[in-house]
Amino acid sequence: MSDFNKILLSSSKLSVGYKNGQEKIIIVEDVNLSLKKGTLTTMVGINGSGKSTLLRTLAGLQNPISGEVLLEKSPIKTLDAEIKAKQLSVVLTGQYISKNLTVLELVALGRQPYTNWLGKLSEEDKVHILNAINATELEALKNTACHALSDGQFQRALIARALAQNTEVILLDEPTTHLDLHHKASIFSLLKTIAHEQQKTILSTSHDIELVLGMSDEMLVIHNGKATQDTPKNLTESGIFEQLFPDNIIGFNKENQRFFIR
Amino acid sequence: MIKNLFTTVFLFSFLLFNSCKNESKPEVSENQQTSKSLVEFATGFDILDHEAYKILSVSQAWPGSKKTFRYALLKEGQKLPDSIEADAILTIPITSIVVTSTTHIPALELLGVEETLKGFPNLDYISSPKTRALIKAEKIEELGQNESINTERAIDLNPDVVVSFGVEGENKSLNSLQRANIPVLYNGDWTETSPLGQAEWIKFFAALYNKEKQADSIFNSIKDNYNSLKKEALKAKKKPTVLSGAMFKDVWYLPKGESWAAQLVADANAEYLYKDTKGTGSLSLSIESVLDKAQNAEFWIAPNAFESYQSLKETNDAYTQFAAFKNKAIYSFAAAKGETGGMLYYELAPSRPDWVLEDLVTIFHPELNSNKASHFFTPLE
Amino acid sequence: MILLFVVNIALGSVLIPLKAIIQIILGDDSVKEAWQYIILDYRIPKALAAIMTGSGLAVAGLMMQTLFKNPLAGPFVLGISSGASLGVAFFILGGSALGLSAFVVPNGWGTILAASLGSFAVLSIVLLVASRVRDAMALLIIGLMFGSLTAAVVSILAYFSPAEELQRYMFWSFGSLGDISWDALIILSFCYFIGMILAFSVTKSLNSLLLGDHYAQTLGVSLQKSRFIILIATSILAGSLTAFVGPIAFVGLAVPHLIRQWFTASNHWTLMPACVLGGAVLMLFCDTLAQMPLFEFSLPINAITSIIGAPVVIWLLIRKKKLLF
Repeated sequence: MSDFNKILLSSSKLSVGYKNGQEKIIIVEDVNLSLKKGTLTTMVGINGSGKSTLLRTLAGLQNPISGEVLLEKSPIKTLDAEIKAKQLSVVLTGQYISKNLTVLELVALGRQPYTNWLGKLSEEDKVHILNAINATELEALKNTACHALSDGQFQRALIARALAQNTEVILLDEPTTHLDLHHKASIFSLLKTIAHEQQKTILSTSHDIELVLGMSDEMLVIHNGKATQDTPKNLTESGIFEQLFPDNIIGFNKENQRFFIR
Repeated sequence: MIKNLFTTVFLFSFLLFNSCKNESKPEVSENQQTSKSLVEFATGFDILDHEAYKILSVSQAWPGSKKTFRYALLKEGQKLPDSIEADAILTIPITSIVVTSTTHIPALELLGVEETLKGFPNLDYISSPKTRALIKAEKIEELGQNESINTERAIDLNPDVVVSFGVEGENKSLNSLQRANIPVLYNGDWTETSPLGQAEWIKFFAALYNKEKQADSIFNSIKDNYNSLKKEALKAKKKPTVLSGAMFKDVWYLPKGESWAAQLVADANAEYLYKDTKGTGSLSLSIESVLDKAQNAEFWIAPNAFESYQSLKETNDAYTQFAAFKNKAIYSFAAAKGETGGMLYYELAPSRPDWVLEDLVTIFHPELNSNKASHFFTPLE
Repeated sequence: MILLFVVNIALGSVLIPLKAIIQIILGDDSVKEAWQYIILDYRIPKALAAIMTGSGLAVAGLMMQTLFKNPLAGPFVLGISSGASLGVAFFILGGSALGLSAFVVPNGWGTILAASLGSFAVLSIVLLVASRVRDAMALLIIGLMFGSLTAAVVSILAYFSPAEELQRYMFWSFGSLGDISWDALIILSFCYFIGMILAFSVTKSLNSLLLGDHYAQTLGVSLQKSRFIILIATSILAGSLTAFVGPIAFVGLAVPHLIRQWFTASNHWTLMPACVLGGAVLMLFCDTLAQMPLFEFSLPINAITSIIGAPVVIWLLIRKKKLLF
């Protein structure tokens, strides 16, 4: 029980953005978050608020403008790539992936940090791979090439790959965009189960605020260049959701925890 | 046709020298008792006879060459002293040879050793009837492979020596032959600038066959013939003006004032209109400048590969503006072809400058006995 | 492939009976000396050169295609062969165009040295740029720009050169596997093995790179290091091969595609060895054809590789209806 409330991923005075020549453009500033072990945190915000930028910076794929990201107390910048690969995995959008791979091959790539230089899969590796495939309901498709999958099936395959990597921390960027409601719900339900049962730390961005409100342990709201981390209940009370959308077209009903169109 | 055009350009490229001739005649060797063959005119090679061995040295394998190749020629039983270095070692007399240029063929025939020729690249270029007979009898192997020699066939043939015209840079195929222990000699006859100098290269081949005396007498008769023709020409009353060359694409190429061709025209007692240009290569001029200077040249010789007035006219109307065109005073060697289309002039002229001179004297000074049959030049059709 | 090797050395301009060939290989000295030389010092080095050229270029091409995620990439996409061509152009054409006298070079090594220096120069610039550029695509474009630049300089040199030099340069650019000495072959083998070892050391990373740079990073691949090794391996293979046999087109680009379509595989642990075998086989086959056995002329190897290879790729694509990449 000693690692209850253990913080796996945190940031300190983190400002993220990008450089335009010499100019630094900050999108979200002064982020001080801490994600505990065994929690599912969802990141929400309107388009362009900087969710993806923040997520990529937390994953160490992008350099922060200032501040630092800590993976279990170690600054993520200093970590050796191979060690980091066993602790943190990602699911991203818009990557150019070779569609020639079968689902099984794609998911198996999640085990790269653990295999030897030949890339040979051990029995343990195979267990993780099959578990990941089962969890994402892809058994029937495991030998299908990715180019023959629907967008939704492909997305599940990418999630399976991250699951196979079996890391303490999983960061996901819009993992359910192409999925229907059933699969959206089942994916987040899956993430929640994994977080609680396997004691993993999961952070996922999402556009479906209503859906994730009920499922997340905590939420990270990105609004006006700032990040606010709290439980869904507290956030609802604080009225932040009313202010989320820029104009008066959308409103938020606190009791139902639903958005409505004025 | 294309092959001929290419050869024309190729030959003109031969005439591209730099004017720096820093090789004077080689000095007499150390040994007092040596007698060297008298190489009077040629500056590109020399033969030093040290009794116990002979050194054939080629100082101008290609124009501007800074390297002198030394080839050791040893008679049966002779050995090269360890202190002497050579680029190739041969046992003479040789019994089989491969040459790579048609200019080598006349030397072999004059020395009577054409039967030792076992292989040649691009047999079709050879014009001489004597050698063509050997080709027909399948005594000479075709060794051409694209731009170079077919390595496998040449090795299989295993000649005593391969004589190649020198080209700056490397030839992979020749390197392979050398590695296979076939001696390769570079022949720079085409770099000689004087007519008699080029003919003197017969002595180069003679050294390989131990036929120096024969070569001397052949060369001397050519030399005497040449000189008497030169004297004859001086008797002429007039010294006509002469133009040469023609256009290739848009550039008119003609020999420079110190080149082989220009010297021949001068020795034929004619006024080559570009005789004051320096250098031994080709001039590249525009049609305007040639028209300007040479429109009224009395004679026009060697208009590249053109064989008829019609073809000149069809190629470029400007040609018709020349006085020599209007007066039908154009003479070309293009009609003299071998059975398979090879140009006799390219093959034989370097070895028989006296015949070229004879043709030119007959053309320029018909009053001095015009009954001689032409060797190379005939009036354009 | 063994069969092709034997066929390749059995056929050539001179007809040498198979029995004699076997005798020569077994060290029997009684066979005609010229034939011994032809087999041992001309045809066998040529066949070995063909094997190294085919396999080396195929592996290099595979690495380039995966690194740049571009099916049109090949081993020369970084401008390596352009650099080599430039070096050789200076050597062959530079003489008259720039008034340079022939440098004193050990006989026969001039073009090899010139080509190597050219490739090396381009490699250095590419590595320098690679360390400053994050996006692989930018590197690709820079390589292509190098190609254009060097081609332009070569054309200027060619413009001022006499016909015979131009012809020599052109014939170099057609590629030639023949006339390679054992000394040269040994040095080539050395470079080849270093290149191949580097290539195979990075195979696992290549698999990760199938998912793109970001995923690869999260899988533990050090992008800088992997890119570096891939670039060096490719340059050593492409550069040394071009230096010794001239620029050989098509093989590096097409063989990876042929292998991918044939095996429908993505795993580089399958693709790499398959490319080694496939490339060697293709090259041996094309060289045997190019020799035009028993004819006195031969065809440039570059033309043969494209004439044979292109239709095969087209047929495969049409059959499968989809480019698997």
